[in-house]
Amino acid sequence: MNKAVKVILNILIVIAGLAFLGLFIDMVGSFKYANREVEDPAETRKDVFEYELKHRAYNEVLGTWYVERMSSLEPSSGMEDIYNVAEYAHSAFMARVYAEKNDGSAIGSNADRMETVKKRLGDYAYTADEVDNIIKKAP
Amino acid sequence: MICEKCNREIGPEELTCPYCGHENPFAAKHSQNMKQFKRTYQKTKDEVLDSAKNTSELAKKAAILIVLVIGCIIMSVISSYNYSDHDPDEEIRRDAEKNAAIYVSQAQDYLKRGEYTEYMSFLYAHELQNFPPQEFDHLRHVNYVVSEYYECIRHMEEIVLRSDDPEYFDGLDSDIKIFCMYANGFYEVYEVQKESEKNKEYLACIEDMKTELEAAMRTYFSMNDDELREFIAASEAQKAVKLEEIFRHE
Repeated sequence: MNKAVKVILNILIVIAGLAFLGLFIDMVGSFKYANREVEDPAETRKDVFEYELKHRAYNEVLGTWYVERMSSLEPSSGMEDIYNVAEYAHSAFMARVYAEKNDGSAIGSNADRMETVKKRLGDYAYTADEVDNIIKKAP
Repeated sequence: MICEKCNREIGPEELTCPYCGHENPFAAKHSQNMKQFKRTYQKTKDEVLDSAKNTSELAKKAAILIVLVIGCIIMSVISSYNYSDHDPDEEIRRDAEKNAAIYVSQAQDYLKRGEYTEYMSFLYAHELQNFPPQEFDHLRHVNYVVSEYYECIRHMEEIVLRSDDPEYFDGLDSDIKIFCMYANGFYEVYEVQKESEKNKEYLACIEDMKTELEAAMRTYFSMNDDELREFIAASEAQKAVKLEEIFRHE
């Protein structure tokens, strides 16, 4: 009886020892995973943004803005220009809608917002003219 | 005890009487018993010690096994924790639960000002659209309409502001398809929600969204009222064909 118990215990200890070793290696790997360097998407996003502006693809800038705003209304670091350009494009789009709707207060507040955003555009001030031109000519 | 011959007191282990020399039969038997007892005692002692040694060995092995199993459990818990990608929105949801009363008032302000896309972005950013706290229950129905309106405006903007560069990817077809899907969705939801008693408070907003969406369609699709009515009544595919004609100048 004792001998059988001893044999069973020995087998269990060997199995548990191997599992211990395996899990230890796995745990060391998990720490490496947890402390991995996460690539900052802002730099890549900036390059894509420049590429989109080069081709006047404001729809893509707006698409990014809508997606980003689902997580945060304020731009994260490096996303400020994208937010500004997209916000201007959205306001410019809505300006014609409010005019058609003949909504005086919305026209006024939207125009104020466009002016404020335009001032924030900085190096991208030219995008306001491009957006205005596209909106004016649409469809 | 008493000597059988001289009746004097003698010790139980004395084999002969120290007084008369008579043999003490009890002492002989006692001596034999003691020898037997010592043997039995030694045997039992050996067995007990042996058993204790064995038990101690088993206990040691069991302890090692328990330590290994506990170690395995702890390490697997640590590994699972490290490998799990923590939900970044969890904190936002906790914040929304905590500040629900403030957020509901801010959300209502957006609706009152007619800033519907901002309202929707606000809900998404605070995880209030997918995980609304109780305080947002009364906005649930109007949210169905705002959500469709938001998607319509978003995709209309993407159609209007698409790249005119022939070298750039032309995603007009899919943008139009998505817009038509949401436009149909908007009118379906609008018809249901405008009749709902639950939306009494927000009926003006619902009507305003419809007016605004139709103003946008009239403006950016170059449609008069009759054309717009016809467009709204058309199927998703017919809408798409019409928009293709408009935006590709076919």
